[in-house]
Amino acid sequence: MATMTYLQAISDGLRTEMRADERVFVMGEDIGVFGGAFKVTDGFLDEFGPTRVMDTPLAESGIVGTAVGAAVAGLRPVCEMQFADFVSCGFDQLVNVAGKLYYRQGLPVNVTVRLPSGGGFGGGPFHSQNPEAWFMHAPGLKVVAPSTPEDAKGLLIASIRDRNPVLYMEHKHLYRRIKGEVPEGAYETPFRARVAREGTDLTVLAYGAMVHVALEATEDLDGASVEVVDLRSLKPLDEEAILASVRKTSKALVVDEANRTCAAGAEVAALIAERAFEDLDGPVRRVATPDVPIPFSPPLEAAVLPSVERVREAARELLEY
Amino acid sequence: MPQMGVSAAEGTLAEWRKQPGDWVAYEETICLISTDKIDTDVPSPAAGRVAELVVPEGETVEVGAVLARIATDARPGEPHASERVVAPRRYSPVVARMAAEHGIDLERVAGTGRDGRVRKQDIVALLAREQETAQDAPSPAPVEQGESEEPPLHIESPYRADDPAPVVASTEGLSRMRRAIGEHMKRSQETAATVTTWIEVDFSRVETVRRRLGMTALPLVARATIESLAIFGSLNATWDGDTFVRHDAVHMGIAVSLGEDGLIVPIIRDSQDLSAEGLAKRIKDLARRARKGELTPDDVRDGTFTITNPGQFGSVMATPIIHQPQVGILDIEAVVKRPVVVTGPDGEDVIAIRPICILGLSWDHRALDGAQAASFLAELKQRLESLV
Repeated sequence: MATMTYLQAISDGLRTEMRADERVFVMGEDIGVFGGAFKVTDGFLDEFGPTRVMDTPLAESGIVGTAVGAAVAGLRPVCEMQFADFVSCGFDQLVNVAGKLYYRQGLPVNVTVRLPSGGGFGGGPFHSQNPEAWFMHAPGLKVVAPSTPEDAKGLLIASIRDRNPVLYMEHKHLYRRIKGEVPEGAYETPFRARVAREGTDLTVLAYGAMVHVALEATEDLDGASVEVVDLRSLKPLDEEAILASVRKTSKALVVDEANRTCAAGAEVAALIAERAFEDLDGPVRRVATPDVPIPFSPPLEAAVLPSVERVREAARELLEY
Repeated sequence: MPQMGVSAAEGTLAEWRKQPGDWVAYEETICLISTDKIDTDVPSPAAGRVAELVVPEGETVEVGAVLARIATDARPGEPHASERVVAPRRYSPVVARMAAEHGIDLERVAGTGRDGRVRKQDIVALLAREQETAQDAPSPAPVEQGESEEPPLHIESPYRADDPAPVVASTEGLSRMRRAIGEHMKRSQETAATVTTWIEVDFSRVETVRRRLGMTALPLVARATIESLAIFGSLNATWDGDTFVRHDAVHMGIAVSLGEDGLIVPIIRDSQDLSAEGLAKRIKDLARRARKGELTPDDVRDGTFTITNPGQFGSVMATPIIHQPQVGILDIEAVVKRPVVVTGPDGEDVIAIRPICILGLSWDHRALDGAQAASFLAELKQRLESLV
């Protein structure tokens, strides 16, 4: 196994699947000649040529719409949104077209949309958002969010092979910061949750960059045994894994980098309240970003994003409850 | 005493849920009334404080009788007689559940959570301590130490006094349901001139059809029974006092075992209007409600014929007791593969393996004679062996 960054693992997964399957091609803004804003597709144009690595105009609606058409025709397009924030321009094609074609006409839409998301690096209000909940709410779309290089590759391959439209949330703040062992060749990571650390006193549920925050915050909490569950798939949610962990620990803390209201974490909290009620020994707590745009100012951004300190404080309160 | 079901004239006060001095809310259960084998919650007709219980537990009174008096001018909010004045502690769902499972009195548990909250850990720790105590409990004291212990006959003798034999008899006595079953059964034996007639039926067709329809044999036998009863009406009848009444509608009773608690016979009203599939659905529903104790008094009244089905446990023959005031009960026994002589394609006798079931009919010789009973069984056999 090779050690890769989260970014290299995404690149590796995409390249592996393009080599294995001629139907897979990539589209996006500046992904060809320039190799992508974050260099995920660096070198792809040389290897796969301009028919499979396509630079597009600045038009997300066009990118997604073209991809939907190509998928209906039997191809497996992978679209890159330069920043997840820009996906709002392609919203109609995703929510009203991609998500509904199978229900309306029985046509599978084998599209993967890569969304570089999340904040924590001074990107400001247009380059730091976590828009996953918009799409969790829309029937017909799947949403996944890897937190490790190994899962980044495996979930991308699984997304490309999944016959539904999948929104693949790749966290920018993990790109070059997180390294890990990545198996060689093609493999699929299931759309199921993963126990990142086992524990017995409290369950912290998180995804994407927040998995690392949760792990760091609960590493040493006066000897408390804290379980951290990495959701990996947000739609569908791995309900049984979530419930099994909460039933064991009886306390749940949901950490969510997205704005708090109606976020993925809210859905997880509702699930626990609904189906693990008899096992709860305390309120289901959430730590999330308040309902404000992500500030450009680094101190302000640090104040709104869930930090190690805030998660630790909430975990402590729940443990003592 | 409220009217329980359409035709009950009286009921037995099974249990008071409130005592004098207790506050009772409007429609809160105040007592349980037992009619036949069914216990029904009685909701309070008004909110107030229970002033007097007129009818003691166990007494049977007529519909309309005064059961209790409720003082409706009492003020809510005053503590109940059964309430404590101390502010109640609140417990999380998991703590409440574990306490219930292990029979823990939470009032006695010291909490280590915020503001003395009892946490899951406290219950886990308490259970662990209890288990330890149980394990550390001194084993029966060595004989030399206790003067009250019986000394050995000889110092090296292996003799030790036996532990007293466990007492088997239960102090609870028989349940209300057991008593009711006993009374009904004895009364039937004393009343009816019961005869049991058996017939062997080849269940090949029944097995084929029931597999196709995905059901047990019971609804198919029930359907064929209902059709046969239409021809032999003297079996679909009841004794009303000294009068013998034939019924057009078949209100079919199905005996449902409740395990050790006893059995109950819920009724499928107008079962002649239902297909085998419809019967299957109703039987399932009645059995489920019977086992959950959700039957209403009307669910067990007015039966005109009964089917009992103990064959599911493997027995091959029985002499069922007629459910009074009916005159017939059909008993379905186990379906067993047996070698039987059948007619071959060329009219010769051959031995074949066939699923055979013995159907038993207990009938009341006061109402009909052996010829009718046997003809009914023959009709039923013919229908079951030619099912399509």
